[in-house]
Amino acid sequence: MGSAQSGMGGGPPGGDQNKDGKDQKKDKPKYEPPPPTTRVGRKKKRHAAGPDASSKLPTVIPNSRCKLKMLRMERIKDHLLLEEEFVQNQEMLRGGAKGEDRVAVERGRVDEFRGSPMGVGTLEEMIDDDHAIVSSATGPEYYVSIMSFVDKDLLEPGCSVLLHHKTVSIVGVLTEESDPLISVMKLDKAPTESYADIGGLETQIQEVREAVELPLLHPELYEEMGIKPPKGVILYGSPGTGKTLLAKAVANQTSATFLRIVGSELIQKYLGDGPRLCRQIFQVAAEHAPSIVFIDEIDAIGTKRYESTSGGEREVQRTMLELLNQLDGFDDRGDVKVIMATNKIETLDPALIRPGRIDRKILFENPDQNTKRKIFTLHTSKMSLSEDVDLEEFIAQKDDLSGADIKAICTEAGLLALRERRMRVQMADFRSARERVLKTKSEGEPEGLYL
Amino acid sequence: MRKGKRMINLRKELSEEDQQLKSELEMLVERLKENNAELYKPALEAIKNFIRTATSSMTAVPKPLKFLRPHYPSLTELYENWAAREEKFALADVLSVLGMTYADEGRTESLKYRLLAPSPDLGGWGHEYVRHLALEIGTEYEKRSEKDEDVKASKDLKDLALSLIPFFLSHNAEADAVDLLAELEMIEEIPPFLDENTYQRVCLYMVSMVNLLAPPEDVAFLRTAHTIYRQHNKLTQAMTIAIRLHDLDLIEEDFEAAGEDRSMKKQLSFLVARQHICLKSDDGEILECLSNSHLSDHYLALGKELNILEPKTPDDIYKSYLENARTGPGSGNMDSARHNLASTFVNAFVNAGFCKDTYMLVEDEAKSWVYKNKDQGMISAAASIGMLMQWNVEAGLQAIDRYMYADDPQIKAGAAFGIGLLNSGVRSDADPAMALLCEPMYLENDNPNIRKCAIMGLGLAYVGSGRADVMDLLLPIVSDTSLTMELSAMAALSLGLCFVGSSNGDISLAILQVFMERVENNEEAQLKDKWSRFLALGLALLFVGRQEEADTTLETLKAIDHPIAKHTSVLVDACAYAGTGNVLKFQSMLHLCHDHLEVEEGKEGADLYQTYAVLGLALIAMGEDIGSEMALRQFGHLMHYGEPVIRKSVPLAMGLLSASNPQMKVYDTLSRYSHDNDIDVAMNAILAMGLVGAGTNNARLAQLLRQLASYYHRDMNSVFMVRIAQGLLHMGKGTLSVNPFHSDRQVLSKVAVAGLLTVLISSIDAKSFILENSHYLLYFLAPAMHPRFLMTLDENLKPLPVNVRVGQAVDVVGQAGRPKTITGWQTQSTPVLLSYGERAELESDEYISLMNNLEGIAILKKNPNFQRD
Repeated sequence: MGSAQSGMGGGPPGGDQNKDGKDQKKDKPKYEPPPPTTRVGRKKKRHAAGPDASSKLPTVIPNSRCKLKMLRMERIKDHLLLEEEFVQNQEMLRGGAKGEDRVAVERGRVDEFRGSPMGVGTLEEMIDDDHAIVSSATGPEYYVSIMSFVDKDLLEPGCSVLLHHKTVSIVGVLTEESDPLISVMKLDKAPTESYADIGGLETQIQEVREAVELPLLHPELYEEMGIKPPKGVILYGSPGTGKTLLAKAVANQTSATFLRIVGSELIQKYLGDGPRLCRQIFQVAAEHAPSIVFIDEIDAIGTKRYESTSGGEREVQRTMLELLNQLDGFDDRGDVKVIMATNKIETLDPALIRPGRIDRKILFENPDQNTKRKIFTLHTSKMSLSEDVDLEEFIAQKDDLSGADIKAICTEAGLLALRERRMRVQMADFRSARERVLKTKSEGEPEGLYL
Repeated sequence: MRKGKRMINLRKELSEEDQQLKSELEMLVERLKENNAELYKPALEAIKNFIRTATSSMTAVPKPLKFLRPHYPSLTELYENWAAREEKFALADVLSVLGMTYADEGRTESLKYRLLAPSPDLGGWGHEYVRHLALEIGTEYEKRSEKDEDVKASKDLKDLALSLIPFFLSHNAEADAVDLLAELEMIEEIPPFLDENTYQRVCLYMVSMVNLLAPPEDVAFLRTAHTIYRQHNKLTQAMTIAIRLHDLDLIEEDFEAAGEDRSMKKQLSFLVARQHICLKSDDGEILECLSNSHLSDHYLALGKELNILEPKTPDDIYKSYLENARTGPGSGNMDSARHNLASTFVNAFVNAGFCKDTYMLVEDEAKSWVYKNKDQGMISAAASIGMLMQWNVEAGLQAIDRYMYADDPQIKAGAAFGIGLLNSGVRSDADPAMALLCEPMYLENDNPNIRKCAIMGLGLAYVGSGRADVMDLLLPIVSDTSLTMELSAMAALSLGLCFVGSSNGDISLAILQVFMERVENNEEAQLKDKWSRFLALGLALLFVGRQEEADTTLETLKAIDHPIAKHTSVLVDACAYAGTGNVLKFQSMLHLCHDHLEVEEGKEGADLYQTYAVLGLALIAMGEDIGSEMALRQFGHLMHYGEPVIRKSVPLAMGLLSASNPQMKVYDTLSRYSHDNDIDVAMNAILAMGLVGAGTNNARLAQLLRQLASYYHRDMNSVFMVRIAQGLLHMGKGTLSVNPFHSDRQVLSKVAVAGLLTVLISSIDAKSFILENSHYLLYFLAPAMHPRFLMTLDENLKPLPVNVRVGQAVDVVGQAGRPKTITGWQTQSTPVLLSYGERAELESDEYISLMNNLEGIAILKKNPNFQRD
């Protein structure tokens, strides 16, 4: 920070200290080349969003648990404490008790310069360090000056800037540039489902935790072993086996940023919007790292590529290509883990689920007897059952029930009981509920039709 | 709340297997509680078996441990009640493992029971358990030492710790082993446990910890690492550490350990010579290696290989045609003397060591560039021959000979200085510098310039050698208070260079004596003299890297009642901790920069110590990556809040911190400072840019400097500085480095620090030294200059071209497996240039390098097992 602050005095050397100061003053009006700026135009990496690169803290290696790491971290801490002490003392000396007031006064002055209201425009082109061409929302383009207090490192062609309402000079930069759509995807409220609400699926839970949570919590474990932690998992299996439920439980349990999208959300009306959205999702995820991105129903965009004449198809395929790049492209994404869910893994493009992009494929199967029991007990634990209910009967039957079916049976039984105005669910309700569910299930799938 | 309830619900609903396991365990526990002693043993065995065979994921506690948890209190009770016997040990064994999951923070239950039940097979309980135990040993030890118990009595802990070490070492957890021993302050115990496979990793880990440890632990670590290397007969690595410790006995011991292996001896000699340590040897060939005699030949061979033997002129460097056309030729009003002087320096730096140029070394004396300079400029011009012919003693003497007897005293002085430069860093039997310079014609000449140059020449020629005859010659000049400050100060500086980092008592005493006498005699004018700072520097250099050995001197300085004592003590303190990264010293230096001094009339220079403190920050922080990066941040704050006296020294400190290491963020910042309103800051920033890029030919820096040349084209002082910086940037046509660290950035070359520091201190007040008449002080960079090459020789010291991979070094400490030590490499044939932070490795197994890290001069041996495919 400090280095940037002192960089303001960029003029030529003060004449009074030079012997030849006089003749220097005479031709003062002549143009002097300004001091070189660090960078013009092109954008810095988004990672450097916070403090600028020169004042970033040094990285600490190794990542494994050891004293060396601790000592290095402590050394950084010591130096930071020294810095704090120094800066505090100097601020005291400078402003005395008024130190804080001074900051407030300076803030106020900057606000005064900015005026209000401010217009929003787009930076079209940088002319030199103090001037730029901007276009306002209403249409006309202006050649305007850039106020000295604007952080020039943030300026780049195409970014949104704040404009003074009269002079139209640039008084600020709007840094938030990602689509507001994405902030919707960020999960603010954790879902209520936890791991405890999942019946069975122990191995699946364990695999997801190992692949997604553990790398975020204990990256050093992987480092010690000398392997790269997995980047993502895909959950697949027939409908109603708890893929989304598991993802919800992950979101409930983790303190990482959780972004959830549905594959179809990535299909947009305009050309190029889908890939852009995809890019931005991962950008936001990287900014808020550590984070988990959950893409439900990935088959909406992730189907195998094929020769297609329809523009819409091609756009969808391009979106998938962007996704491929985001998953394992040139830039290292760091602490972003991806969970995908689908029930048609065989239709997915092989490139999407190759190791490196998706390292673990987790199969969700229809529950076996034990699991069925667990699911039944889970769903019935909050229901008021009458004495005669014996769930073992359903568990023992060899129906091909998924978790969702079981839930449906329980709900249906409850509804039947309600219809009869009973306060308890009886065994008979369960039986008829089962009949109904199985019937509708076989109706939904016209089995044997094409065989 | 709801969640908690649900968790309990879940626990109740155990699967069948779990239920079975649980009831079985409960049954076993019950059996232990019964009175039937015969069942104890099988029950315990069963529990043990359950625990050991439990497989689990990384994310959860093993089930048996989970189920046994509720019984832990009752089991501990049980343990207390049992009579001592075999089963009791077994129970303690189990309790110790259970304690890992049960014990609350700060209760070292695991350890308690482990100590009660000595068992040889700890590894059987798993890695996690052993680690946990190590942790508890650490905390317990700390607790005991806090309570002031006799730490020696903790033999039980130490024995236990030692029994853990083999497990760690065999499980790829060297770091844990070292950490545990460090925690117990007994790192010396580690060597016997190491074997061929582990020692490298352990040593690497230990050595990289050294900079972060508080004394005396750091020395203990280095010594242990040294022992390990010696044990495994890695003499070059051992030697590097011995040099780092600066322990002459150890160095000699290592040297002798090479025994009959002459190639190894030669290799060690090169290492020792790189650090400018004087060792004696009866063997002529080895002595040549020890005295760097062939440095010039090697350097020229490098030049030949890279095809850069053709001399470059300053105009090639300035590339004025690339500057803004507006400046026009000759940049207007820069007077020609200044211009010529700048050219002298640029020529000297650029063609340094190449023995060939177009200005000085011309046949026709009348055409020589010397005569195009005026006054003191002639000194610099004549001395530049020394730099051009550096390391090449014989040819250099011939070239300089004709100026030795010139009529003009300035030229004569310059020639004397040049002889010193010529011999800097090399030794020869004939000892020409001593023979020529101590002639009365030079050393006792009435002309102060000649005399001063002879003194400086001696200092440079014998830099780091610690020769007693130099002391005998110069000490009287230091002590003679009837002489001017200028002479005694330079004599002190020369002694400082010669005895750098030796904490020589005689010299420090003599210099302190001078301070005291001059203060007593109230020679205010002399003490105020601008040269007096070199007296202080001379004293400080004696203690480079000696840490607390400087304390007595600091105490004595406190007793002297004069501001100069304070300045000196800051400088001595900073030098003593150079390259250690010591945070406490860093802090105390920073505190010195806190005050905003109002300099009163007649007391100018009272704030000099703040400048030293800023340089001290860089001196202390360098050599340790984290410290230096953090120091750069600190400099930003200093620039922001500091008084002019601090601000003008910050760029210099940055230059020192990353000498010959052009990092983008450093020269970006410097380039901003170079446009500062305070011209002193700007000029120092320009010089610092030169230092940062010294010998790298960095194109961006070159462009920045050209911009500066046109920006400042009306200010001749600044232009002069820019020219010097350009000369530094292309030093040795881009083959030299002034970075004081070598041997894989491990060893601090004290000589290089001394040289750099001298130049920096003289440019604090550039207007009174470099920009006035004493520009020749810039030549003090010579000791810091060293070719940044990798030269490979065969066992008979003949150049041996091989293919090597050169790439950015990677810190592999504490990483699993065998990671690559370099990244982004290119394959080249030796000799090659190595930039800061680069490393080289041999491409094939055809040869074996005697040197561990390929750098400088390496001797290669044929690999007997090599098979060409």
